[in-house]
Amino acid sequence: MSELPRPDAPPLFGEARPRRCGRGRKPARAWSRLGWSRLGWGCVGLALATLGGCEARPELTPSRTTCDPPAARRAPLRLLTRSEYDNTIRDLLGDDSAPSRAFPPEPNVGGFDNNAESHLANPLLVEQLTSAARELSQRAVRDHLDTLAPCPNAADADDCVDDFLGRFGKRAFRRPLTASERTSFLTLYRKAAPTLGYEAAIGLLIEAFLQSPQFLYRVEAPLQADVASAEAPLPLGPYELASRLAYFLWGSMPDDELLAAAEEGRLGTADELEAQARRLLADPRARAQVSRFHERWLGLSRFETVVRDTDEVPSERVNESWRRSLLAFVDDVFWSEDGTLADLFTSPVVFVDDTLAELYGLSAGEGSELLPVTLEDARAGLLTQPGLMAMLAHPNQSSPIHRGVFVREHILCRPVPAPPPSVNNTPPDPDPNATTRERFAVHTKDPACATCHQLIDPLGFGFEQFDELGRYRDEENGHPVDASGEVRHAPDPNLDGPFHGAAELGRRLADSSAPGQCLSRYWYRFALGRMDSAEDACTTEGIAQSLERAGGRLEEILIALVRSDAFRQRAPWIDELEAGP
Amino acid sequence: MTHPLRRTRALPFSRRSFLRGACLHAAGGALVALPLMDSLRAEDRAAPPPKRLVLLYNPNGTVEKDWWPEAGASESDFTLGRIHAPLARHRERLLIFRGVHSHVAQRSDNNGGPHQRGIGALFTGQMLQTGDFVDGCGSRAGWADGVSIDQAVADVIGLDTPFKSLELGIRASDNDVQGRIAYAGPGKPLPPMNDPKQVFRRLFALATEPPSAPIDPSDPLDARHSVLDTVREQFALLRPQLSQEDRSKLDAHLELVRDLERRLAAGRPDRCVPPAEPPSLEPGSELDMPRVSRAHLDLLAVAFACDLTRVASLQYSTGFNRIRYPWVDSLGEGHSLSHSGPSNTAAWEELTRRAIWHAEELAYFLDRLAAIPEGDGSVLDNTLVLWGNEVCQGNTHSLDNIPYLLVGDAGGALRSGRYLQYDDASNCDLLLSVLHALGIEAETFGHPDHCTGPLSGLLA
Repeated sequence: MSELPRPDAPPLFGEARPRRCGRGRKPARAWSRLGWSRLGWGCVGLALATLGGCEARPELTPSRTTCDPPAARRAPLRLLTRSEYDNTIRDLLGDDSAPSRAFPPEPNVGGFDNNAESHLANPLLVEQLTSAARELSQRAVRDHLDTLAPCPNAADADDCVDDFLGRFGKRAFRRPLTASERTSFLTLYRKAAPTLGYEAAIGLLIEAFLQSPQFLYRVEAPLQADVASAEAPLPLGPYELASRLAYFLWGSMPDDELLAAAEEGRLGTADELEAQARRLLADPRARAQVSRFHERWLGLSRFETVVRDTDEVPSERVNESWRRSLLAFVDDVFWSEDGTLADLFTSPVVFVDDTLAELYGLSAGEGSELLPVTLEDARAGLLTQPGLMAMLAHPNQSSPIHRGVFVREHILCRPVPAPPPSVNNTPPDPDPNATTRERFAVHTKDPACATCHQLIDPLGFGFEQFDELGRYRDEENGHPVDASGEVRHAPDPNLDGPFHGAAELGRRLADSSAPGQCLSRYWYRFALGRMDSAEDACTTEGIAQSLERAGGRLEEILIALVRSDAFRQRAPWIDELEAGP
Repeated sequence: MTHPLRRTRALPFSRRSFLRGACLHAAGGALVALPLMDSLRAEDRAAPPPKRLVLLYNPNGTVEKDWWPEAGASESDFTLGRIHAPLARHRERLLIFRGVHSHVAQRSDNNGGPHQRGIGALFTGQMLQTGDFVDGCGSRAGWADGVSIDQAVADVIGLDTPFKSLELGIRASDNDVQGRIAYAGPGKPLPPMNDPKQVFRRLFALATEPPSAPIDPSDPLDARHSVLDTVREQFALLRPQLSQEDRSKLDAHLELVRDLERRLAAGRPDRCVPPAEPPSLEPGSELDMPRVSRAHLDLLAVAFACDLTRVASLQYSTGFNRIRYPWVDSLGEGHSLSHSGPSNTAAWEELTRRAIWHAEELAYFLDRLAAIPEGDGSVLDNTLVLWGNEVCQGNTHSLDNIPYLLVGDAGGALRSGRYLQYDDASNCDLLLSVLHALGIEAETFGHPDHCTGPLSGLLA
C-alpha cells in the first residue's frame, strides 16, 4: 500500500510540474535533504542548488525562444486529417462537398486528431480515399475544367497538359513536381487521351494526384545531404514551412502567395514567417481553424453523448446550442481586439440563441443566431459558461468530478497522476442516496482512491452553484448550496487554497501564469502534431512568456509558436547522420 | 484434425419456399431484406461450406450473479443465468467459459489502465505498447501489440472474398486504445463503421455500377488500372526522398493500395442480389441505437449469405462510454453506471437489462444465420461467434474471469452446449483454441509467455 502524499508535498506520482522562477532562473525539483519542507522550494541561487530550488539558465532573447538543448524535434510524415483533406479539396478543386464524412476517424491523442505518429492509413481509409478520388476528379473536370486545365485550342492539348502539370501539380503537391513525377503523369495522359479524350484524361490525372502520397502526406523532412552533426537542428525547407504554416493556421494547403513566398525564399526568417502568419490570420479560414482548436482543447465532442432529462427542450437541440454558445464565447475572446487570456476567465458574457434564452428565462433571442448577453448571476468567464457546466454533469445532477478533472486537465495541465499498480481490492460501495460530498468521504477512506480524488473532488465542489443545465442555483433540494472548494497541488502555488464559487476561481486563474502555460502546450500539440514532453518545456514556456509580454492577447501564442525554433526547425534523421558529411 | 461433415438440421421444404419471398419480416423486425437465396445454393461450390468467425463486444463488464450459469452434474447439465435466457433456443451451440483470465493484461510491465489493457488484450492476447492515450486516471498506453484473432483468421480464410473482414460499430466512435478491438497487426487497429448506410454502400456500391466492373490488369487501356499504376509510381518516386522511418509508413500505405487493387481485380460475385438500402439512421443517437444494431446484424447476415466476407466484428461502444439504453429503461451513463456498487441494486438491474438486450441481439443474429440454407444445414452451422467484454465486472475492473462466450461448433470441431469452468486459464489459450477449431494450424497465439496450448477439453 503506497503512502498518501503529505499535504504540503508535491505529488508522488506522475510529472512533478516545477514552479516558475524569475528571468534567468530555471525551476528545479526541490528535495530538501532534511525531508519534505516548503523551504526547499523557491527561486534560490546556484549555491543552494543542492537544497533544490532554481538554477541559472541561459538568457532568453526577447523575441525568440532559443533553447539548450535545441527545441527542434523529429518531423515525421503527416497524413492529412479528415478536415485537412476536405479543406484541401475545397481549395484545390473548388469542391466543398466535404468527402471525408465516410472516412474513419483519426486516433484521438490528447484531444487532437492530428497526431503525426498515430494517424496512419488503414484498409478502410484507403478504400474511401480511392473512391473519393474517382468521384472528386470526375466532378472537377465536369464542373471546373476551364479553371483547372483550360485548353481553348484543342490542337494545343500537349501544351495545355504541360501547363496543367506545372500549375495544378505544384498546388497538389504543395511544391513543384520533379521531372520524374511529371513524366509519370504525362505517361498516364498519353495512355488515356487518345481513346478517352482530353477532359477524361485530365480527370484521370487528377484522380491519380489525389491518391499520391505527395498529396495525402505532408512531407516535412525529406532527406538532406551534408548533415554534419546530431546537435545542430536543420531548418525546414521553404515549401515544407509553407505547408506547415498553412495547415497550422488554416487547416488547408498554402495559397499561391505563400507558395510564391516559398519559391522566392521569403520564408527564411522569423520576421518573414510572422508577416505571413499575420496575413493568414486575417483570412476567414483562420476563424474556422481557431474554432477547431478550441473545440478540441475543451473536448467539446463530449456534447455528442450529453443527454439531459428535461422537458423544457429536446436534448439534441440544446446540446448543439450549448456547444455553439461555448465556442462562440472562447472564439470571441480570441478574436476581439482587446480580448485577453484574463478575459477568458473573467468575462461575464454568454452567447445565447433562442433555445438557450428559453432555457435560462431570458427575453427571446433571434432564432438560432447567437447574441451576447450578460447574466447577472455570479458568472465570470469560461468556468461559469452554462454550456461548460452542462457538459460537465450527469443527466440529472451536477458532477464535481467531471468539473474538477476538467480544470486539472484543460486549464492547469496537471492531470491526476496514474494510480499505483494494485491487486484487485474491494472497491468502495457508496450509498446511492448519499450526497456527493458524502460519497467523497468514501473516496478518501481508501488511500489508493484518495490519491486521485483529493485533487479532483474539492476542486469540483466549487462549481456547485451551477446545475446540470448550466443554471445558477443557491439552493438544492431545499438546502443552501455549498460552493466552497479548494485547489491543491496546482502548478502555480498561488492557485492553491480554498475558494468559494467558480467565479472566484476564475479570477484567481486570471492572475496566474498557469493557464497561459497550459494553453501554450495545447497550441504546441495542435501546431506540431505531437504531444509535448518535458524537453519541450523551453519552447512552451517561451511561448507563455511571449503571451504575457503581449498582455495576454491570445493571437500572440500563435505568433510566438510560428517564430519559435520548434516550428521552424527539425531534428536530423539518423539516416542523415549515418550518411556523414 | 479431420472431422466428418455434420449433417445438421435440414430445412423442411416449406421453410425454403417461405424464404423465396423477397422481403423477410420475421418477429423482431428485419431491417434489410435478404436477397433471393436460390442462387446461393451450395451446388456451385464443390468445396465444403466456408467457416466464419464473428467477434462481439460490449463494454464495462457484466453482472456476475446474472451471467454465470448454475452448474449441474456435468458440463452439459447447467441452468442458464438471467442474461443468457434469450439464448435458450440456441443452448446446444453455447460454450460458456469461466476461469479464463486475462493474464497478459495483468502483467506488471504492461501499460495503461484496466479498461485499456482489458480491451487491448481481449481478442489479441497481447500487451499494450507505450503511447499517449490516457485513461480516466492518468495511465498512459498505446495500441495493442499484436494481431487480433479475427484478423489472424481472416489472413487465412479472408483472402478469397471481396472483403477480407468487416468491422461494424454501434456508437463505437472513440478512436483510441479503449475503443478498438480488432487489429491487423501490432499497433494497427481497424476502425469500425458505425453507419449502416455507409456499410451498405461499401458492400454493394459496385452493384449499382454497370456489371463486369473488375479491373483487367492485362488491358492497358483499363482506366482504373492505369491510374493505380501511376499512383504506385508516385510512391516509388517519393520513397528515396524519405528517411527509413517515413519509408515504413509509406510502404505500409502502399501495401494497402495493392491489397485494394487485388480485391478490385477479383471483382464481386454477381450472383448476389443486393438487398434494399437500410433506412437513414442517426448512428450517434441513443434513440436509434437498437435499429442501428439490427441493421448491422441484417447486413452482416447478407454479407455472409453472399460470401462477401467470412470474418467480422461487432463493437458496441467503447470502454469509456457514457451511453444510455433508454429502451430498456437504463438512463445511467455507461462507464459510470458500471461503477455502481452492489448496494445500488437499481443500477445493477439496469446493467443486467443492458446485458440481456445484448443477448437478445445475439439471438436475433443467430436466428438470421440459421435461416440461410447452406450445405446440409445453414450458415449458422458454419459460423463461430465469440462474445467478450474487457473486464469481468464494472465495479471491480477485474481482469479475471473474462466473460467469454462462444456460439457454434465450427462444423463439429467443438463440443458445444457446455458450461466450462477452468482453473486459472489464459485467454491466449482460448483464442488459440478458436484458431484450431477453424482448422488453422498454429502453435501459439498472443503473448508467448501466456500461451501453452488450446484449452483442455474444448475441442472435439
